[in-house]
Amino acid sequence: MIQFLRSFGGRSLDRMASLGRATIMWFTALAGLPGPGDLRLLVRQIYHVGVLSLIIIVLSAFSIGAVIALQFHTQLARFGAEDSVGLGLALVLLRELGPVVTGLLFAGRAGSAITAEIGLMKTTEQLSSMEMMGVDPLRRIVAPRLWAGVISMPLLTAIFNVVAIYGGLVVAVEWLGGDPGGFWSGMQDAVELWHDVGKGMLKSVVFAVVVTWIAVFQGYDTEPTAEGIGLATTRTVVASSVMVLAIDFLLTLSMYGEFN
Amino acid sequence: MNGADDNLIEIRNLSFVRGDRVIFDDLSLSVPRGKITAIMGPSGTGKTTLLRIIGGQVRPDSGVVLIDGQDVCGMSRRELFELRKDMGMLFQSSALFTDLNVFENVAFPLRVHTDLPEDTVRDLVLMKLNAVGLRGARDLMPSQLSGGMSRRVALARAVALDPNLLMYDEPFTGQDPIAMGVLLSLIESLNDSLKTTSLVVSHDIHETISIADQIYLIADGTIMGSGTPDTLAVDDSPRVHQFMHGSPDGPVPFHYPADEFLYDVLGDVNA
Amino acid sequence: MHIRTLEISVGAFMLAGILALVFLAVKVSGISLDADRGSYQLVARFDDVAGLRERAKVSIAGVQIGRVALIEVDTIYGQAVVTLEIDGSPGGLSADTGAQILTEGILGARYVNLLPGADDETLADGDLIYDTQGALVLENLVGDLITRLGAG
Repeated sequence: MIQFLRSFGGRSLDRMASLGRATIMWFTALAGLPGPGDLRLLVRQIYHVGVLSLIIIVLSAFSIGAVIALQFHTQLARFGAEDSVGLGLALVLLRELGPVVTGLLFAGRAGSAITAEIGLMKTTEQLSSMEMMGVDPLRRIVAPRLWAGVISMPLLTAIFNVVAIYGGLVVAVEWLGGDPGGFWSGMQDAVELWHDVGKGMLKSVVFAVVVTWIAVFQGYDTEPTAEGIGLATTRTVVASSVMVLAIDFLLTLSMYGEFN
Repeated sequence: MNGADDNLIEIRNLSFVRGDRVIFDDLSLSVPRGKITAIMGPSGTGKTTLLRIIGGQVRPDSGVVLIDGQDVCGMSRRELFELRKDMGMLFQSSALFTDLNVFENVAFPLRVHTDLPEDTVRDLVLMKLNAVGLRGARDLMPSQLSGGMSRRVALARAVALDPNLLMYDEPFTGQDPIAMGVLLSLIESLNDSLKTTSLVVSHDIHETISIADQIYLIADGTIMGSGTPDTLAVDDSPRVHQFMHGSPDGPVPFHYPADEFLYDVLGDVNA
Repeated sequence: MHIRTLEISVGAFMLAGILALVFLAVKVSGISLDADRGSYQLVARFDDVAGLRERAKVSIAGVQIGRVALIEVDTIYGQAVVTLEIDGSPGGLSADTGAQILTEGILGARYVNLLPGADDETLADGDLIYDTQGALVLENLVGDLITRLGAG
């Protein structure tokens, strides 16, 4: 028992130390706001992190939109409320699934790639040699990736939502013969700009910060071995996913919970 | 700076502890200007750490590291930046930037530290690449280079700014004989032509003694022996002797501590 | 990859993302891009607003013309004070317009339905709607029905 408490305490302190390092890294990296020369680095990172994630985002979005529309339709048809499919789909996507699923997919695809890349740079002493040449690796390597993540993920979420709604449209209207007018008007009636779209986007920005931060830090902090990189990559995916879901819970409660 | 002081680097009473391991214990050495100095010793004695301390990446617990009379340990970021203009380092893994091609890699320090126009940068890069014999490889990516070629490109990058101090971290490890020969001749010729001070960290005896002017043997955080290759070769202190001649057994024992062999093997028989 | 192609693809990506956001704002949430026609407020007092939420629809003849802006309570008179936000400029609703709280479908959301009046005078910004009918609470109706059936 004592042994367990000791190791638990030790690990907790380790985690706290990690968090401390991560925070320091975050502020130091942000302090080096991208200058004009760094714009090229930023653009390059947005490509790797955003553009290359498009395929998985679009494919998943279409499938998810279609599937949800199908499920909703089945249930709502029981009450004769098929016209509400558009409404239900839009609300669920904008408020929850859009930000969350995009966050999870992003963590798996882009997050792990960032961790692996930075970890590899650390292991092959590229970060060290950069430092020896007087270039701050936080500024050249970390900051562009942080900003690229924070910019790309909300955009990916918006694209996800649009494609998913379209996927739902295809199922509900083309396939199941629903009324397109009902689909859209039901949606437009119930969806509000700030309450639904806006808050969903806000969630997405929060997730973007968390996921990118974890990804970058894990790469930067990794043990400089091949084994270490593997562990760090796994840690990024797991930690990001857990954090996205946990934070989503908290945000949803505070944004949409109506406690009477 | 004393007029008689001929040393580019002066290290005095350097102590550094990591965790519960003592890396350096009151170490002092000096690196004379314009010569090739070698730091040798068994693996894991912290030789790379020494280079990092000299380069200002790691701060020692106590001691003074003077480069051209200035103490590295107390320097600000700005001062370190200026200092590093004058230092070139060749890493064990060559550490080329994988997202840039050969030309861009060598041009990197020039672009960071100078405002030279593109044409000048181009000429300088080609000159350096030519010095290491890889001018034709300028458009290749690091992943397309062999180990020996990577090292040469890294060397070209290290000398891009004509630094006063060149540091080599285990340059001979894992090289085939030809690449080895190329590297050795490059180190020597660069030292002569650029009039730099070279600091080589290595545990490859034969290669190192063939080019070093002065050698320091470091083990257990202190200096075991020092001198020219010739004096060290005939040094009769046991540790120095074992290292220089590569004897499998001596002060650094062959056997990892264990019980008597006989008892181990006959363990279940009443001894 | 050529730097130019890369930059173009990043630009396209950003454009796609921004267009998606615009699409969401306009097509999905139904924000009108017409010039903002402004809105004005009316107040209505109800005995019972059970189930009515803020942001619920306000409609007349089945067409939405506004939203419920605020629901407050007047503890002195025991009434709910509901502020309605009506699109457009005042002058479209007669002074004796009535307001009732209805339900969409059987189990749907509550909304405010306005019943047109015949007065020549029209409601201005901040005016009170006098004729109000509280929400039909399902439980009360059922209780009513049971009582009637029992008496019959």
